[in-house]
Amino acid sequence: MSIKIRMRGKSKGGVAEVKALIKHPMESGVRMNKKTGKPFPALFIDTVTITVNGAAAIDSQWSGAVSSNPYMAIKVNANAGDTIALALTDNSGASGTQEITLK
Amino acid sequence: MKRRIFLKNTLATGAAVIAANAGLLTPTTVLASWNKEAFTAKSTDGAITSVFGTNSAATSGDIQLKAPAIAENGAVTPVTVDASSMTGVESIAILASKNPVPLVCTYAFSGAAVGYASTRIKMGETMNVIAVVKAGGKLYKAEQEVKVTIGGCGG
Repeated sequence: MSIKIRMRGKSKGGVAEVKALIKHPMESGVRMNKKTGKPFPALFIDTVTITVNGAAAIDSQWSGAVSSNPYMAIKVNANAGDTIALALTDNSGASGTQEITLK
Repeated sequence: MKRRIFLKNTLATGAAVIAANAGLLTPTTVLASWNKEAFTAKSTDGAITSVFGTNSAATSGDIQLKAPAIAENGAVTPVTVDASSMTGVESIAILASKNPVPLVCTYAFSGAAVGYASTRIKMGETMNVIAVVKAGGKLYKAEQEVKVTIGGCGG
């Protein structure tokens, strides 16, 4: 199962802001299921990596306390035409990737 | 024994139990394994120590921590940490002091990255949002209280 990611990025004066919206429930493992009295099992994105033209830039680790359908914004030194790639995996092993060319 | 190792590797796919295992499974990406110790620590100090090796962080005005004074919905609290005015930013960690597991996310920077991170986090009650920044081998932090009017973790 691949995770859906929407991504956008624009470079201004050599610094690009990249924004991503990810579709994911981000279940923390703490929220209770009222019908069964047991918590919903944890299901959240735990690692996110961002590369600029194939070179590693940001290596991020998340817990279940990141909001559901996470939004993230980061900044990198890059110009228009550079390729930004985002790859993520969740704790069930599902993964998603997205690649954009900066405007 | 071989079979055991194989089984262990298979199970480690999602959990990334040991760095070596994760390395074997995803040889193309240089991923540090998910820091389980830090993400299960129950105290903010414990979590910071697990991430950075020490928890002695100096309060710094150079970290711009943007979070709402009052969050109407704790389940989506926008938090922005801007440390781009500091030099040599290596990593940023965001913590919510009273959450069951305080550590929310960590960002490690290299190459072209700028010391900036923006995200949305869940907060169960009124508490402090803490941003810890490692720059030039030293730890700095900034704190801000966020009043939550509706619980975020209870759903």
